[in-house]
Amino acid sequence: MSSSDSNSSSVDDHNPNPKPLDYQFETLNLEQGSGSTIIQNDVDEEGRQQDQGSSLNGSLNVNSNNHEQDDGIGLVRGVVLRRTNSEVEVDVNGPSSPSSSGYAGERGSSGVSEDDEIEEVANDSALHEVFDSQAAWLPGKRHVDEDDASISWRKRKKHFFILSHSGKPIYSRYGDEHKLAGFSATLQAIISFVENGGDRVKLVRAGKHQVVFLVKGPIYLVCISCTEQPYESLRGELELIYGQMILILTKSVNRCFEKNPKFDMTPLLGGTDVVFSSLIHSFSWNPATFLHAYTCLPLAYGTRQAAGAILHDVADSGVLFAILMCKHKVVSLVGAQKASLHPDDMLLLSNFIMSSESFRTSESFSPICLPRYNPMAFLYAYVRYLDVDTYLMLLTTSSDAFYHLKDCRIRIEMVLLKSNVLSEVQRSMLDGGMHVEDLPADPLSRPRSASPHFGEHQEPTDSPRRFREPFAGIGGPAGLWHFIYRSIYLEQYISSEFSAPINSPQQQKRLYRAYQKLYTSMHDKGNGAHKTQFRRDENYVLLCWVTPDFELYATFDPLADKGLAIKTCNRVCQWVKDVENEIFLLGASPFSW
Amino acid sequence: MASRRRMLLKVIILGDSGVGKTSLMNQYVNRKFSNQYKATIGADFLTKEVQFEDRMFTLQIWDTAGQERFQSLGVAFYRGADCCVLVYDVNVMKSFDNLNNWREEFLIQASPSDPENFPFVVLGNKIDVDGGNSRVVSEKKAKAWCAAKGNIPYFETSAKEGFNVDAAFQCIAKNALKNEPEEEIYLPDTIDVGGGGRQQTSTGCEC
Repeated sequence: MSSSDSNSSSVDDHNPNPKPLDYQFETLNLEQGSGSTIIQNDVDEEGRQQDQGSSLNGSLNVNSNNHEQDDGIGLVRGVVLRRTNSEVEVDVNGPSSPSSSGYAGERGSSGVSEDDEIEEVANDSALHEVFDSQAAWLPGKRHVDEDDASISWRKRKKHFFILSHSGKPIYSRYGDEHKLAGFSATLQAIISFVENGGDRVKLVRAGKHQVVFLVKGPIYLVCISCTEQPYESLRGELELIYGQMILILTKSVNRCFEKNPKFDMTPLLGGTDVVFSSLIHSFSWNPATFLHAYTCLPLAYGTRQAAGAILHDVADSGVLFAILMCKHKVVSLVGAQKASLHPDDMLLLSNFIMSSESFRTSESFSPICLPRYNPMAFLYAYVRYLDVDTYLMLLTTSSDAFYHLKDCRIRIEMVLLKSNVLSEVQRSMLDGGMHVEDLPADPLSRPRSASPHFGEHQEPTDSPRRFREPFAGIGGPAGLWHFIYRSIYLEQYISSEFSAPINSPQQQKRLYRAYQKLYTSMHDKGNGAHKTQFRRDENYVLLCWVTPDFELYATFDPLADKGLAIKTCNRVCQWVKDVENEIFLLGASPFSW
Repeated sequence: MASRRRMLLKVIILGDSGVGKTSLMNQYVNRKFSNQYKATIGADFLTKEVQFEDRMFTLQIWDTAGQERFQSLGVAFYRGADCCVLVYDVNVMKSFDNLNNWREEFLIQASPSDPENFPFVVLGNKIDVDGGNSRVVSEKKAKAWCAAKGNIPYFETSAKEGFNVDAAFQCIAKNALKNEPEEEIYLPDTIDVGGGGRQQTSTGCEC
């Protein structure tokens, strides 16, 4: 995984010549003998060790199987927190057998690498003809009848909790918050006990489970997971959950706790269960949750320009941000001068709007807070769905701007209809974005203009397939199954459409988890940033290439040839560059670059 | 995030080791009693749903260890408590004398906004022992102490026989509730972007 100095000579991604990457990988090939560049099969072990190493950094890492721990861990040994009305024991000092490692629920995780999903895949691949992983998900909170004494509750693979610093439950992904009051108290006790010793608890390992803690002033967030995601990913998910809470309430909620530590904030969050459950669901299908970038709906350049122009007009009339989105994809967005919108805020805002049913049925004006823009104060969002998936958001600072924004919306809607933007949007939703099967042949062997473009009526939709090379098997050329390209300066990414063999939501989720792991290891500050990585395991070949301008994550058949895979990645980058006018929003003013 | 408004009350139980804190809690929540003494280590947590004046409440009961070595649990344990229950053994004078220390320790650590009126309840436990013959703290003495500390409600209980336990916890819930502050109106700021007047707005999203 180490990077070589030679990488610095090949960072220019604007160079259409694929040789730099070739060169880069040739260098890595030379290093293969040392065993430091290629990670195979023992990835999990390695990841685990890295996690432990990094968490020693001012943190607490309790492993009940290990009695040889340093003094910092001794702190925790003193405390045994028991629930007397159930069998759950959080017993850090307990015997070292894995079955008593504290957090109950080992049974649910016997074959963790398979994630219990092999069976599900068998069922679901037949059920889900539509390859939209969102389709399989039902909104709202389920299993409310469960509590920590229920076997089903303990078997759940990933729990999220929000609680107050006095141990009062605020939110739990599964089960009834009030019935979990004792469990919530236990979590608070663990956090507080470590805090009393002038330390902070970040991660506790208990067998296959990781307990990740995030303290945000008077708000405590905890994730208990046996999904084998890296600590950094789980903490990132907790950060987003906290951000979602801030989006609904602003950070001024802290003042309530300052005045009154008993403060119960659940009434303030009344009815927002669905917002959190939808966000948590998106952790398994939306790469924006770990890439910290947004994605655009592929559209012809002119179409997006037309949408941008009318949004610009209204932005000049006192609108802070004007955003037109279709599901989680951006059609166009415009911001007032000097105002910049963080991709995480866009994710949380669109999740809030898409998950709340009431936005769909009427035009709404709602106070919302953008945590990355200003966590302390509310903005007002005028929201209106223009068709079943496409919605317009106009954000303003003025609480009495409703009628003005309504007028703006009417103007925008008229222009969008007239210029066929809305019908183009719907067509693009049906057509999908980039398909790996359409990857053009080697860029050197064909004229530049031959790339398949999006949203051009004159071309029959299947015309790009002309450029397809003959190749054996499923997926794209050279066994390419999927890719994500993230432009760093645009803060945008493009993900190829899923196709065989990655069809079911479960397979897609597993691939995203693999990307997440890759992303974490590529951004590991402790080890220094990596530039390239090639991993082969029984499921895939994963290839990652990070430059100062972009990041490419590509998935290949596990038997794919390495040299060919590298060449294919170069072609993907070229392809993305060829169609960047259609897949990215270029020159959007909210971003200061 | 209950849509129906339920309340959760955090109740801390304090007192010397062996006075019967855990037994009281077990009798109340599980209707069980064991003669065997098992020291609480750190803290135990129990929940119990109670109905009071047509409303449902969840009592989140923090049963703490009485031994001095656990008193470092401190601030965080007591933070945000709605009620504090002080327990002593009517047969052990020292456990009664220590009530004052427990009360003061709690007020220091929890630093409630209105310490004078913070709801305490005092329980004199183990009145069943030896038919009351080994009793050393009289009811009169206990009540006098409670009266001096701002009229703390006082109950004589037997965790073993379940005597007065329900009544005591009913009072605990009632007192915790009484102290509930007026529901504050949540008023975050609105962003002020160059010039526009600062606006205030009502609660979070009700849409």
